[in-house]
Amino acid sequence: MNALYLAFSYLRYHWGRSLVLVLVAALIMFVPVATQTLLSTSERALVARGEATPLLLGSRGSQLDLTMAALYFSEERPDPVAMRQVETVWDSGLGVPIPLHTAFSSSGFRIVGTTLDYFDFRDLSLESGRGLSLLGDAVIGAQVAEKLGKGVGDTLVSAPENLFDLDGVYPLEMPVVGVLAPTNTPDDQAIFVDIKTAWVIQGIGHGHENVVTAADVAAGTAALAEAAVVQYQRITEDNIESFHFHGSQDDFPASAVIIVPGDIRSGTILKGRYLDSESPTQLVEPAGVIQGLVDRIFRIKSLLDVVTAIIAVAAVAAVGLAVFLSYRLRAREITTAVKLGAQKGMVLRLLAAETVTLLCIAGSIAATGAAVVSRNAEAWVGWLLALGA
Amino acid sequence: MWELNVMRFLRVVFVFAAVALSVSAALAQDRPRVVAVNQALHYFAARLFDGEAEVLFLVPDGVDPSFWRPSIADITIVQSADLVLLNGAGFAAWVDRVSLSRSRVVNTSAAVEEQFIVTRSITHSHGDGGEHSHEGLASYVWLDPTLAVAQAEAIASAIISRNLAASTDVEARLAALTSALMEVDTRARGSLMGLQGVAMIATHPRYQYFARRYGLSVSSLEWEAGASPTEDQLAELEQLTGELGARILIWEAQPPGKAIEAAEALGLQSVIFEPWASEGAHGTFLQSFESAVSDLSEAAALSSN
Amino acid sequence: MVHIENLTFGYGAGGFRLRVPEFTLAEGERVAVVGPSGSGKTTLLNLIAGILTPEAGRIDVAGTEVSGLSDARRRRFRASRIGFVFQDFALLDYLSARQNICYPYRITPALTLDKEARERAESLAAACGIGDKLDRHPSELSQGEQQRVAICRALVTQPGLILSDEATGNLDPDSKARILDLLFEQAALAGAAVLAVTHDHELLPRFERVLDFAQFRAAPET
Repeated sequence: MNALYLAFSYLRYHWGRSLVLVLVAALIMFVPVATQTLLSTSERALVARGEATPLLLGSRGSQLDLTMAALYFSEERPDPVAMRQVETVWDSGLGVPIPLHTAFSSSGFRIVGTTLDYFDFRDLSLESGRGLSLLGDAVIGAQVAEKLGKGVGDTLVSAPENLFDLDGVYPLEMPVVGVLAPTNTPDDQAIFVDIKTAWVIQGIGHGHENVVTAADVAAGTAALAEAAVVQYQRITEDNIESFHFHGSQDDFPASAVIIVPGDIRSGTILKGRYLDSESPTQLVEPAGVIQGLVDRIFRIKSLLDVVTAIIAVAAVAAVGLAVFLSYRLRAREITTAVKLGAQKGMVLRLLAAETVTLLCIAGSIAATGAAVVSRNAEAWVGWLLALGA
Repeated sequence: MWELNVMRFLRVVFVFAAVALSVSAALAQDRPRVVAVNQALHYFAARLFDGEAEVLFLVPDGVDPSFWRPSIADITIVQSADLVLLNGAGFAAWVDRVSLSRSRVVNTSAAVEEQFIVTRSITHSHGDGGEHSHEGLASYVWLDPTLAVAQAEAIASAIISRNLAASTDVEARLAALTSALMEVDTRARGSLMGLQGVAMIATHPRYQYFARRYGLSVSSLEWEAGASPTEDQLAELEQLTGELGARILIWEAQPPGKAIEAAEALGLQSVIFEPWASEGAHGTFLQSFESAVSDLSEAAALSSN
Repeated sequence: MVHIENLTFGYGAGGFRLRVPEFTLAEGERVAVVGPSGSGKTTLLNLIAGILTPEAGRIDVAGTEVSGLSDARRRRFRASRIGFVFQDFALLDYLSARQNICYPYRITPALTLDKEARERAESLAAACGIGDKLDRHPSELSQGEQQRVAICRALVTQPGLILSDEATGNLDPDSKARILDLLFEQAALAGAAVLAVTHDHELLPRFERVLDFAQFRAAPET
């Protein structure tokens, strides 16, 4: 008790030195734990998303691009795959195909055109509002709502794209009809619309006399939703009937198709059907693609571990030196204590108490930090992964 | 004392009733829910489920199901269904503007697409739904019993693949429905044998598949179902009758007596043939179909006399 | 209070040697120890305090033969019976004056820092004229004030013997006499004898007796 009292007095009096030592020691303990936590959480999150997505059908090309676009709604734009492929899978009866159209964005977030099956498949639930019902409806992820400050009743306008170079294709204003509960997955960062709405944005489906023009805005008949967009389409109760699609839906595009096979056997049969390297489509297993990515990350991580270890050794040496020097500085105190009749081992205990106090404070800081990291790891990892997407 | 016993008895009855009600409510919740976009599909589904599912048809009376606009509440019901039976062939354009779960949607005419009849594009207006346009395909596929069988088969296979009812039961009911449809078809072929070459006019373009199946020649007007024709419409009818030498006018719903008289004045026998997109006024789809077929053959006999 | 008989001590073969045939310090007596540097004055204090162990002879302090005690007991004995005052004050910079005075209580289980001890520390400080500076750290005190704190620390455990090793050596001439008087005054109040090593000859008249150390210096053994 007395040793602790003296140790604490000493540390408090030399607070600057103690603070540096505590922080350095805390960092040495915290950094590897935090890195480990974040990395293992990101591995889990990545692998979990991959494993939760059994099969992915898309255009032949980079498997990673296809996976990133379909699972993480990244900016990669894999070549579109025709909806005919979706019907082919349906007709085979081997699995449930869920098309995804991720070519467009709004306010920096991907617009994900899909069918309602996606919501069941990912087990997404609404925090407010309702699900997609009508053409043009948008349901936004939790982070989209938070970052854009949008909620049910607000609108979003798709970013103007010159992707398809079609005349008369205007950005689409979409009413937000629902906000999803947070999931700490890329779904939090997506604006979900019916795939038919995505086709309207693409210009494949359109209505008549539904373009809000600069003149309307000037005349005050329409509010300007986005300064850069002077003309955009709006689907209203009055014009929704005029919306129609040209051509056969079989030819309409999707960015990728998630396939949920009925059983393992169906999955195997499906994989067999897309083995032909001449085929314009490919069927990938996202878990394998993600595992490849994770393995790469972890190769980098082992390098990081070595760096961390070297830094930790250097830091431990520095802290050790600092403690040793402080003991040297206190040699006189030790002599005094002995002369005054300090109990044998008292001096040692005094110094030990000081080191232990220091390590305990550093440890608590590191543990608090680690707890904060591990509690928020999923959210942060979700954010980090989305950042990289 | 006596009153006390009655009270006790009533209380017991009440408790039993409450339990029975809650049990039946629970059962009702467990039953699959099926939404059909027209009454013909509703009829097929109802026969195939035989009470094992709640089969819904949400279009209110008096609204053409082709052009129905579901409310958000309607859409919620449709989305909650285990099975949404689409007719295909461009019937019920609302499905293009509504978000549905692809896994629950069944296009019942997918297997017979190559048999679709392409029509010219017509824009017209209805009382209830504003201006609409028919384009592309004739959609009353089920009026050809052989195509109706294909639709019933599609529904049955959807029920079985989704495990909504026992497959042996569904297969037995499908066999019964198929044979009933084929019997109706056989009888219709017999009855309508003599009608090839008899020009007919329909007040609405509903009967393309029916006409093709039985080799009939049916031209179409664009009249409002169940309403009295206007002067202009009657003039158009007169002109068309003259051009075609038509003797039979097919109504899709019972028109006012005056309208029938007006048609008679033009030498046209009126026949009411409910196409069963909406619910018919009498009996079942099959009864309605058979009675229309016999009316047609009778009308043909009358007009030839 | 202190009785030494036939004491011999040496720092290794060929090193400095000390021989004290006999020395007695009465209770409450104030004795100065003088002698040239390196004559073993501090060594004598360390032998009396039990920090060093004699080769031969006997040292009794307050009726206890210090040289016969085990190390642990000697430490306890020292902590409770002997007060030390050093030339460099030996205060701890990280403790306040109050904490420094109470320091002996913190380093040995032989003493308990109770309310009485705390009150004694305060009254000693007040008596030494630093009652209002108890919460200051040594760096905030003058040298005279620091030595007053050291005197309080030496007396707070109520020892029977104060060993002073050049206690006034680092002080300016004006303070020397005042601090020594204060030490004597407080020692007298506590009934403690004072054995003080000093080089300040002008202070010698204040002692009851002066012990010239040159007489104890022995030739190195060959």
